[in-house]
Amino acid sequence: MGTSPESVDVLLSLQGITKCFGAVEALVDVDLQVRSHEVVAVVGDNAAGKSTLAKIVAGVLSPDAGVVELGGHPVVLPNPAAARAQGVEMVFQDLALCDNLDVTSNLFLGRELRGPFGRDDARMEEIAVQVLDSLASRIPSARTPLRELSAGQRQAVAIARTLIGQPRVVVLDEPTAALSIPQTAEVLIHVQRLRDLGLGVVFISHSMTDVLAVADRVEVLRHGRNHGSFDTATTSQEELIGAMTGARVAPRRLQVV
Amino acid sequence: MVRKAPGSQSSLRAANKALVLQTVQRWGGLTQIELAAATGLSPASVSTIVRDLFAAGVVETATTTRNGRRAQLVTVSRRMGLAVGIQFGRRHVHVVLADFALHPIAEHTLPLPFEHRVDTGLDRATVLMADLLERVGASFDDVAGVGVAVPAPVEAGTGSISVAGVMPGWDGVDIAQTLSKRTGRPVYVDNDANVGALAESALGAGRQVRDVVYVRASYGVSAGVVVSGNVHRGYAGVAGEIGHVMVDPQGRMCRCGNRGCLDTVAGGAALAESVRPVLGSLTLTDVVRRAGDGEPACARVVADAGAQVGAVVAVVAMVVNPQVVVVGGELAETGEVFLGPLRERIGHRVVGNSVAPLEIVPAELGSRAEVMGAMLLALQATEVSVPVSPETAVEVV
Repeated sequence: MGTSPESVDVLLSLQGITKCFGAVEALVDVDLQVRSHEVVAVVGDNAAGKSTLAKIVAGVLSPDAGVVELGGHPVVLPNPAAARAQGVEMVFQDLALCDNLDVTSNLFLGRELRGPFGRDDARMEEIAVQVLDSLASRIPSARTPLRELSAGQRQAVAIARTLIGQPRVVVLDEPTAALSIPQTAEVLIHVQRLRDLGLGVVFISHSMTDVLAVADRVEVLRHGRNHGSFDTATTSQEELIGAMTGARVAPRRLQVV
Repeated sequence: MVRKAPGSQSSLRAANKALVLQTVQRWGGLTQIELAAATGLSPASVSTIVRDLFAAGVVETATTTRNGRRAQLVTVSRRMGLAVGIQFGRRHVHVVLADFALHPIAEHTLPLPFEHRVDTGLDRATVLMADLLERVGASFDDVAGVGVAVPAPVEAGTGSISVAGVMPGWDGVDIAQTLSKRTGRPVYVDNDANVGALAESALGAGRQVRDVVYVRASYGVSAGVVVSGNVHRGYAGVAGEIGHVMVDPQGRMCRCGNRGCLDTVAGGAALAESVRPVLGSLTLTDVVRRAGDGEPACARVVADAGAQVGAVVAVVAMVVNPQVVVVGGELAETGEVFLGPLRERIGHRVVGNSVAPLEIVPAELGSRAEVMGAMLLALQATEVSVPVSPETAVEVV
């Protein structure tokens, strides 16, 4: 545990990230930093580059220029498996879960535990229950088939799945977009739990209320560029919306990292 | 009573029964199939246990549908009726559904932004309430009353906030009427420290005594004063707002318009700001957790806050002469880190009496004091008598 702000671990650092798709500049010279025990929200209008940024962190896309650092070391993330190996897990908007499998099987999809006699189901279920508990999730049984779960519970399963790999950074893409308010309440509690577990969380969202409820810092993207960095303790919704829409030109960085 | 041998059939049955009941309490409402999955018991055992619990009046069952099939929904028995308690904090809203004995049945916590908006807050609280009722197969008609706690002084007559600026955006809003219109049920609003005092004096650490001062140290500091068993609110509901007692004439401006209030040196924002140079940006929850873990900077600011709050509470104690000072709110979760300096400072500044020496104790209801007090307020106002039992207080969901 560090004793000064400078020594607080920067887990993830993106510097000068640029990504173009033909003539479309999705991201231009974008910086982002995430420390341990911190929720950083990335907000912006449609096509501001939020999801592109998330995909670069998760190894789905490779940047045209710029540096990705994890734990202070530059890394190349050519694919999601490489990102996972480096401790970066992502929850995609469509969750990528299997309806026909139960909760435990979904959590361990593609990385099933092996025992002396094949799949170690007992051990997997034990871990699944632990992980669901650590998120304070409202899923009564790890054996429930996914198709019987609500949208909020599915989101909880997708978030729980990130914890199986013991990550350092978790990226959540619009986790509350299609949820009712009670389900949103649960997901926001899960996000707080991830922070309490000491992880760095990148929280991509449109909802100003949700973002300001759980994030420590908000990074605004506009037309693929950094458009302000805000401390949630001192930021109003109007300031954020102003920065998102371009009504207000924010300084490049309010917080010196 | 015959003592059951461990490992016997009957002790196994008793353990399974307890497991089923705990599971129902934890989830609010579950179908028998879900209960079997959650407990790991066979559907046949669950069915037998539920029948026993129903016969004993501990649970209720209702027919519902899950995935298009008929199913038996099992909920904790609601003795007589339901009440709802809502606590608005600076960073969250906590909604609890309970029966008339104040046994919690189901609850939701939703994190909220700093300076959250009144319309968003009331709207979301209503939706959460409706969801809790749906979860246990009830409707708003089954609710006797709704109690609401807010972190600001409240004028009892109108149920609106009586000091401008303390909760920006909430001024002049008739909270009770707005919620009552949405739910169709009577709604009662009070200050969070007042309802916390009500709950602690009726069910918690102050239940054996007549005169109690409840101190709530959180994002702001406030107190609820119970005199002869009744909460003293003052003419405009401002009684006990110790967070706005000036402690530093050269201090920072406070949101109330005054300068150097206790809140500006011992409130959550002040504590987070104090540790920022050494620990960076932390929330109040972080500061409280780390202080409890013995992190020196956090423990120091929490201890200093305890001493500063103690100095002000000492004056209140001299005016009211309570038998106990009950300390709640997030800062009290650090235990003696906060309570020790607070106790010491009060001890130095209060004249001792030989009849009933002042005791300073932690709250027994913890983070539930405010919602329980809010429900108690609603039930008292709707003239439902609450069968108070000590075990109500320690019920764990």
